[in-house]
Amino acid sequence: MSTLRRLGTALLAPVLAIVVALAISALVIVLIGENPLSAVEVMLDFGDSPSQQTQAMVVILNRAVPLFLAGLAVSVAFRMGLFNIGVEGQYRLATILSAAAGAAVALPAPLHVLLIIVVAMLVGAFWAGIVAVLKVTRGVSEVISSIMLNFIALGLASFLLTGPLRGSEPGASIITTADIPESGWFPGLNGVFGALGLAEPRSELYGFLLVAAVAGIVIAVLVKRTRFGFDLRATGMSPSAATASGVDARGMVIKTMLISGAVAGLIGLPDLLGSSHHYGTEFTTGLGFLGIAVALLGRNSPVGIALGALLFGFLDRAAIPLQFEGIPASVVTIIQGTIVLAVVVANEIARRITRRQAERGGSQPASPTTGDGSTDGGQGSGGPPPDPGAAVGTGTGPGVRSGAADGTRGGQQ
Amino acid sequence: MTESAPLAVELRGITKRFPGVVANSDIQLRVRRGEVHAIVGENGAGKSTLMKTLYGMHRPDEGEILVDGRAVTFRSPADAIDAGIGMVHQHFMLADNFTVLENVVLGSEPTRGGRLDRAEARRRIREISDAYALGLDPDTLVEELGVGDRQRVEIAKVLYRGARTLILDEPTAVLVPQEVDELFGNLAELKREGLTVIFISHKLDEVRKVADSITVIRRGTTVGTADPRTTTAKQLAELMVGAELPVAQKRDSTVRETAVLQLRGVRVAAPGGRPAVDDVSLTVREGEVVGIAGVEGNGQAELVDAIMGLRPLSSGVVLLGADDITAWSTRHRREQGLGFIPEDRHRQGMLLEAPLWENRILGHQTRPPSVKGAFIDRKGARADTERIMREYDVRAPGPDTAAMALSGGNQQKLIVGREMSARPRLLIAAHPTRGVDVGAQSVIWELLKDARAEGMGIVLVSADLDELIGLSDTLHVMLRGRLVATLDPARLTPEELGTHMTGAASTAGAA
Repeated sequence: MSTLRRLGTALLAPVLAIVVALAISALVIVLIGENPLSAVEVMLDFGDSPSQQTQAMVVILNRAVPLFLAGLAVSVAFRMGLFNIGVEGQYRLATILSAAAGAAVALPAPLHVLLIIVVAMLVGAFWAGIVAVLKVTRGVSEVISSIMLNFIALGLASFLLTGPLRGSEPGASIITTADIPESGWFPGLNGVFGALGLAEPRSELYGFLLVAAVAGIVIAVLVKRTRFGFDLRATGMSPSAATASGVDARGMVIKTMLISGAVAGLIGLPDLLGSSHHYGTEFTTGLGFLGIAVALLGRNSPVGIALGALLFGFLDRAAIPLQFEGIPASVVTIIQGTIVLAVVVANEIARRITRRQAERGGSQPASPTTGDGSTDGGQGSGGPPPDPGAAVGTGTGPGVRSGAADGTRGGQQ
Repeated sequence: MTESAPLAVELRGITKRFPGVVANSDIQLRVRRGEVHAIVGENGAGKSTLMKTLYGMHRPDEGEILVDGRAVTFRSPADAIDAGIGMVHQHFMLADNFTVLENVVLGSEPTRGGRLDRAEARRRIREISDAYALGLDPDTLVEELGVGDRQRVEIAKVLYRGARTLILDEPTAVLVPQEVDELFGNLAELKREGLTVIFISHKLDEVRKVADSITVIRRGTTVGTADPRTTTAKQLAELMVGAELPVAQKRDSTVRETAVLQLRGVRVAAPGGRPAVDDVSLTVREGEVVGIAGVEGNGQAELVDAIMGLRPLSSGVVLLGADDITAWSTRHRREQGLGFIPEDRHRQGMLLEAPLWENRILGHQTRPPSVKGAFIDRKGARADTERIMREYDVRAPGPDTAAMALSGGNQQKLIVGREMSARPRLLIAAHPTRGVDVGAQSVIWELLKDARAEGMGIVLVSADLDELIGLSDTLHVMLRGRLVATLDPARLTPEELGTHMTGAASTAGAA
């Protein structure tokens, strides 16, 4: 009963947010003179032939894998109240350096892939580590420094790409690093479709999906089941209480940012190891920022982030078919943007509801003694108005932290 | 003020249920116009629920509210304000960077031509301030005001909105003794002007001093009324708890020879010159309770932080047993036998949003029964939380309840139980019974005494003089970061201790 209710409140916010976002997007489509229903039809239409349909699924999954990793990277920091906006720079730098490292060596297949993964994680962790060191030693807000480091990372990546690490012919319109030899490619998963009796899609399903799944499980276990994770979540909920309990706040900032950065380093690898095999001017960008949205949508729980990544992947796939129907692809961006805004609002509302329930002892199952005809209206509809007097007395920290605290509760079974 | 005049506020048979609990049942309250009416009860007895009902923050499931003899229904605090009922919250709700004037008018600004009419606002605030002797200057910034002044701004806010009945929720909790006296002076002014004051408290001496009549709440219902002139504090307290009262009386000395904690020349720097802790040396032996008395803000909090390793020393040495722990981290100190009951349990002692079993782990992340190796032992932590709840009488539905759902007393009992369960060599108890009801207070005192008898060393920092005198074996007085006197609690009255705390006994003219 109480588990069901908790699950209900955990799901309430994202579902509400998606509904609101879809309503707003429909309004936008109507305003530009198109039919929102036909847009929905296009988005849900995966094609006629079986191979087109599996192809659509592969496109969605291949997009969702890097988004999931990005969301995971952001969420780890979120959980302890750190806002790692630098994921974008961390993964771009990690991808180009690991691509160059992969192209520069020849190793047996598993080792070659492993080397690329390790280099990417180290670079991501290093770049995020700068943020942590600045915060711990100089008190620089991680929000500011990670944004600034994004610019530096992007500039640095451009410099490396056009200069020392360029592998493409001089004068080529698309500049790339040298290709990684085949021993450094991650095998695809298209065999699965055959095994399931489905049609073979045109593109390869990224094998990196498995690595992402492992990363998700490792992070979930780390955060929820280990002492380290406890310290991390405690710091996110109350830095002062965590410090008094013996958590070394500085050390936690550094460790958490290193983990967040290491996961961020993986973001570019599904594309790099699965299809492009080099980093170049056409490499996927913006995943780090989308990761923030996905983490918010998933309320920082790995399962939620996976669902959020799939939703974003689904929306992104629709961008091209929508254009065929004369609907601008930016509708997808509008939907994603409104989802994020709506999620922030909905999370806050859900947080207040859970908090109010908890303060009233709402986590206690209703005892039969009070069942004497009193309606259960006190719980849902009959709640007091959001009076500042009620909220301020026990209020915790503002803004950014609430998202992190939210996920903590939402994720617990 | 005749008996036949309609009552300012009357509550008849108010019942308020929350899922699983009845917070208030059949409350009867009769407040006459122009009196100070105190509502007393243990924490968690239902005082706050009742006041929220009266202030329109939620609606009762049963019962009637009558104001000046008329039945009313409050949908929101705005309705209550319209009916002339105002609330002064325990936690101030003022914008620091606004002036007194701006804070007072915020939300109901007098306007002229669409702009804030400062002259009119100033005139009315002066009027209120003069009429009730609040002594407010409308143009001071709130951030420059002390706690007492801020409270008077809150009162002015309520009066400005035309309240005839003021609810004061634990108004003295944040005040020092002199400010309490000033507040009582203000209340007398309000009374003289015919206003009604509902005063919520669990400090019985204050209640007896200021109230004209008293209603006692126990376990969610009104158990009786009392006349403060004829009722002793002890009788009141017994009405509140429904049982005979404990006293903070210690048994025979259990002090042993071995020193468990020694501070030598400990100094903690503070921003702006004078160190917060200045050359403090003290020794705590096994089985000894060392009390630290002092007016708050004289370095006690910094001293506690220094012992816990939460604040760096600028000089000095801290020894735990024979080990020099000066350079140890907080976690290392805790692992080696330092227990901590923090002064502010919400800030330092609990994760309010986390369930109780996670709070059981807090501070003990490296030790069984809550952890196994690098992993959290959820089952072990839950089981041990249940044990603590049983043994330390923590009243909560279960280990999965969020900590914020508990009353202050139950939260504190959980913290005490958690710290005791680790069997520390030395326990730092900072205001262990602050904001805790009489029932929980006596439980906590008993626990401290038992621990002392078993050989635990205890540093007791408190503002409760009876607690200090009753529990301590040795009593140090802290003033401006220094230990200025060492007293024998066996031959000490609270009055003498008070004199030492203000510095009047040793240094002439010190405040």
